[in-house]
Amino acid sequence: MIAFEKITLSNGLRVIVHVDRSTPFVAVNVCYHVGAKNESPTRTGFAHLFEHLTFGGTKHIRDFDTPTQNVGGTNNAFTTNDITNYYITVPANNIETALWLESDRMVGPKFTKKGLDVQRNVVIEEFRQRNLNRPYGDTWHLLRDLAYKVHPYRWPTIGLTPQHIEEATMEEVKEFFFHHYAPNNAVLVISGNIDADKAFTLAEKWFGGIPQREIKSHLIVQEPLQTEDRELTVQRAVPIDCFYVAWHMGSRLDPDYYAADLLSDILSGGNSSRIEEKLVKGEKLFTEADIFLSGENDPGLFIATGKLNEGVDFNLGREKIVAEAMKTTETLVTEKELEKVKNKIEAEQVFNEIGYLEKAMQLASFEILGDVDLINTQLDHYRAVTADQIRLVAEKILRPGNKNTLNYLSLTK
Amino acid sequence: MNLNRNTPPQIYSVDGVEYIEPKSHALSNGVELFTMKSGDQEVVKIDFMFKAGSWYAKSRLDSMMAALMLQEGTETLNASQIANTFDFFGAQFSSNSSYDNNYVTLVALNKYLPELLPLVSDILRNASFPESEFEILRQKRKQKALVDAERVGLVAQRGFLRNLFGEGHPYAPVASPAAYDTLLLSDVKQHYRNFYRSDNMSIIASGFIDSSVIDLIAANFSLSWGEKDSVTTNDSYRLPKAQKSIYIEKEGANQNAIAIGKLFPKQDHPDFPGLKLLCTILGGYFGSRLMTNVREEKGYTYGIQASPISFQQEGVLLIFAEVKMDKTSEAIKEVFYEMDRLTKELITEEELIPIQNYLLGRILEDFDGPFARAQTFASLREVDLDFDYYTKLIETFKITTPQQIRALAKKYLKADSMSTIIAGTK
Repeated sequence: MIAFEKITLSNGLRVIVHVDRSTPFVAVNVCYHVGAKNESPTRTGFAHLFEHLTFGGTKHIRDFDTPTQNVGGTNNAFTTNDITNYYITVPANNIETALWLESDRMVGPKFTKKGLDVQRNVVIEEFRQRNLNRPYGDTWHLLRDLAYKVHPYRWPTIGLTPQHIEEATMEEVKEFFFHHYAPNNAVLVISGNIDADKAFTLAEKWFGGIPQREIKSHLIVQEPLQTEDRELTVQRAVPIDCFYVAWHMGSRLDPDYYAADLLSDILSGGNSSRIEEKLVKGEKLFTEADIFLSGENDPGLFIATGKLNEGVDFNLGREKIVAEAMKTTETLVTEKELEKVKNKIEAEQVFNEIGYLEKAMQLASFEILGDVDLINTQLDHYRAVTADQIRLVAEKILRPGNKNTLNYLSLTK
Repeated sequence: MNLNRNTPPQIYSVDGVEYIEPKSHALSNGVELFTMKSGDQEVVKIDFMFKAGSWYAKSRLDSMMAALMLQEGTETLNASQIANTFDFFGAQFSSNSSYDNNYVTLVALNKYLPELLPLVSDILRNASFPESEFEILRQKRKQKALVDAERVGLVAQRGFLRNLFGEGHPYAPVASPAAYDTLLLSDVKQHYRNFYRSDNMSIIASGFIDSSVIDLIAANFSLSWGEKDSVTTNDSYRLPKAQKSIYIEKEGANQNAIAIGKLFPKQDHPDFPGLKLLCTILGGYFGSRLMTNVREEKGYTYGIQASPISFQQEGVLLIFAEVKMDKTSEAIKEVFYEMDRLTKELITEEELIPIQNYLLGRILEDFDGPFARAQTFASLREVDLDFDYYTKLIETFKITTPQQIRALAKKYLKADSMSTIIAGTK
């Protein structure tokens, strides 16, 4: 159980405080409801580039790092398809420094041509390091593009191509800031060793005066129902053949989400899962195999992947894992399996309650999702799932026409 | 409210670290058990530490394979039964090998310890090393090695260590994925027999520790097992004369990886605290000189770090980055430029004070929460140090002068003492 209090400031900023006396630190975590899915298809990678740019200082603060270090703190940020999340951790008595910095980021970064030029280069190097220079690094580009035809989930946060980042202009940068980085589009979480009252007072002091802004988010086009299976085969300079099979599933708030998550765990969560026991160890088809959810806020993907063992026929291997998943559309999972994966979720929940920063991030992301109480109630949703529901969800997700297959073959063979 | 955003809020310095020494208990077989109680969640983490890393192994991979094989079967349970038990109780079990010590770790809810600890005890005493599981693991690790061999970053770092230590040294990573083909199950099992002994083990338990946890550990791990045989350990190696410059070709790379550095004092050396400060200035935090120069000013890389790395027997300095292909030599030039600058110019107070404060904050983090404290304690034990090390570290961070930093740079960052490894495409 994670105890928290929540208020909304007059400018629309939601403030959540979680007190944790076991740490000498506090975290100031600001999550903006903007991610890669809010980008235009001709300016992909922009939300992430923007995250880099905001560290270049503001009108009042030369750079963010020196003041953070000066008080013994750390800062960082990440961008996903749904959100952009910034955080600063500091020894608790230095909380005001963290609030000063994060509130000033919201007031307005100073955008300079030099800053934009350099961060463009840095992000393009990140693109190279993570996606071009690493075996299997373009997997998500290929898979998203195959599975999504209209929804902006069809590109990863790094963007479709480095060219989009190269072409970003200062005007676009400023407009993006103004329409997304507003108090009424953000959640502030303060967690750690601090009195709740003091935290709320300081939140009002530093963030209360920032004016509301008009949020100009274009409507996100939802993906139409897929009716025909798709398949893409690529060859790359990688040592081992692998595949990804992705089916569309519901959103994070869809009541089916919990059954789908448990289904993926029964199939491949842990060494005692069906895929691991039957296909990896039993039939020795794969050296690695996994079934997992993409876990995004809008309707996401249910994904099966495997790296083939030496000498195993590629199509046979891939079809075996699909067939193993398909079995759950016909036969109920056992009560013992269901109890096992629920126990695992429960234990993970308790493990996650350790760590003030992780809790801050979770609170922020549930609030952005639309239901912060889920942080404590989701376990009940998992506990309530029945074997029948899992079979029904499997049938819904693994239906004919909903499948996207990416064959990622080794060029050297 | 009228806020002055131009003036930073008042700064409070880190006023001290609460160490909280672990409690030490001796089990009846002589095994040392250390406990660190804290936290409200009913979770414990128990680390079983064995002096069984690659330093002790006959061949490097034996130690790793022995660690990974532990949960693949005991004399009475097969891999599936073991996996089902851990999964059913939502426990995380892992067994990791490293250069010096191996850790077997259980993270679990307190309420399931009565079911889980007998299983861990069985694994530590009676692992059976089944042939078929071994072959599966061999393939798996070989495939991973094949993929790793395509990553220029790993290729450069591994080449870097091989250059400093020499092929065949236990700290030198294995060069070829083919090494997996010649591994023998009997050697791996022998490694287990030789080093996973009760008299070669210590236990560190952290989290929600009460007397029932201590009693359960005592009940399950007080037997004596394993026998010492006449294994010879690798206690002396002649290190080769490292090459100054190595280029490892990787066709079709999109970036080149550079690894620059040398043998360096390790954690127990009197200069180490000062060198930690020096390396932080050079490349140990986001605002470091290398990050500022090579990433933030020039945009040649996504990230560049300088770290002093301590093994039990040796230490190294590693400066590492993946850089723009056509800016490789420029990036290397900047690394040497920044090292040279440290040997010549005195650091300003304006740059030094935030770094000192930053490092004090990291120390505070090393003691933040039961698991972090246990981790810190274990890593100090690895190199026969105790919490006094931190007292010295804090003092060094607080009182080291710009002159002392320059003197350390002059002594340890000489350009002609460095080796440079490039992996990628020319």
